[in-house]
Amino acid sequence: MTLVLSRVCARFADEGENEVSVLKDISFSIPTGSFVSIIGPSGSGKSTLLRVILDLMPHASGTIVRNFSRPAMVFQNYALFPWLSALDNVAFGLHMHGVARKEREHIAREKLKEVGLEHLERHYPAALSGGQRQRVGLARALAISPDLLVMDEPFSNLDTITSEALKADLLKIWRSYGMTILMVNHLIPDAIELSDQILVMGAHPGRVEKTIPVDLPRPRDTRSVQFFKEVDVLTEDIRRTLS
Amino acid sequence: MIGSSAHPQTRALHRHHARRYQRTLGLMAGVVIIALLLATFGFFGTVAWGALTQAVAYTTYRIAIAYAIAFALGVSIALLVGWSPISEFFFPIFDVLQNLPSFALLPFFIYFLGYTNQMIILFAVSSIIWPILFAVLTAIKSAHADLNDAATIFGARGFRRIPYYLAPLSLPAILTGSIVGIAIGWEAVIGAEIIANMMGFGAFIKDTDMTGVSQTAIAGILVILVIVFIINRLVWAPLLSESSRRYAE
Repeated sequence: MTLVLSRVCARFADEGENEVSVLKDISFSIPTGSFVSIIGPSGSGKSTLLRVILDLMPHASGTIVRNFSRPAMVFQNYALFPWLSALDNVAFGLHMHGVARKEREHIAREKLKEVGLEHLERHYPAALSGGQRQRVGLARALAISPDLLVMDEPFSNLDTITSEALKADLLKIWRSYGMTILMVNHLIPDAIELSDQILVMGAHPGRVEKTIPVDLPRPRDTRSVQFFKEVDVLTEDIRRTLS
Repeated sequence: MIGSSAHPQTRALHRHHARRYQRTLGLMAGVVIIALLLATFGFFGTVAWGALTQAVAYTTYRIAIAYAIAFALGVSIALLVGWSPISEFFFPIFDVLQNLPSFALLPFFIYFLGYTNQMIILFAVSSIIWPILFAVLTAIKSAHADLNDAATIFGARGFRRIPYYLAPLSLPAILTGSIVGIAIGWEAVIGAEIIANMMGFGAFIKDTDMTGVSQTAIAGILVILVIVFIINRLVWAPLLSESSRRYAE
């Protein structure tokens, strides 16, 4: 298991200094090397959950077993450093880990190549399109050879064609790296296409309503009858769970 | 360099800057032409150019030193406070200090440092530092939460967060803070020179005013105008355009 959460709760102080429960009794575990998606309405604390898992935010109670050492994250709005070129953005994590310039630039170039952007290494984020920025964000995450890759709605700011291409590349990368991926997903078909397991979260307070395994064989053909049936059944299931 | 592939919005911003630059350049050319015309008619015949140059040199020198000190202090304090987990605690303190009318403090500077260069320079520092400090603190506090998280996850933790994340994040704010700070600096230095009657542009203007030789005052103001314009065009404008291009979202 890469990650085990047991009865994890998190609270925020709202404007009136009242404590508001954002995560309540969250328990689940993520097997090493698996692809897990989180789906839920806004207010279900999906982003908060990711931040608690990565220790960017404290949790109020419960236990988290973090069986990973090099987590990386990909963000919905890319969160690239605007003062660094694409290459330096990708090399940032290695730089912070004390890798020498020559070596880290070599690795960063390789990662940019993996996401198909080797020709844009000198460009700054402001000169890149949304899809290109997200690819740089993915390359930055891959550069530190993560054992856990956390992705917060990485496709929701991208158009369909761009996100289809990025999904295909992500699956290829996941197969070759074998890291564990935890992704917040805003589309049920996307979650079914990508994941081994889907966590369905409910809101107010955020909680895990259901864990749904996806048993479709890989590679998954998103236009097959089998896939459409699975989407239909699970969509209905998720809808009923959340109502 | 981004070159021609820059985002359309960034290019629009550039055109806007270019247009404004042309207008400013035109205005400055007009001012210089009028000044030259006046000069050919002997309007500036009575001006003691040697004394004026020396006075302006003194004032410019004080501002340069004061800015260097305010920059070093303001940026370091703001980065350290912005980095520390207890920055909220410092905000009200800085706010009160910033709102003290700076000239009200002049007697204290004179009392402790006398009528010296150091007195004027440190007095100017006490005005220049605030816009820089607040610009940097605000930039750090208003940084997108995701960007903060990205810096943390990819290893900009502890002390190295300052040089590798907070400092580059604050660069545009350091620029704008500096521009405002130096504008305030001219005011502070010239004002202090007038009040303390110390050698420099302030005292020079005051003396000429008393003796009724207003040509000298006009010549002095023109000289300052040209200096400020040149510094803006040569130093700040290129830096601003580079930062707005780089940091555009």
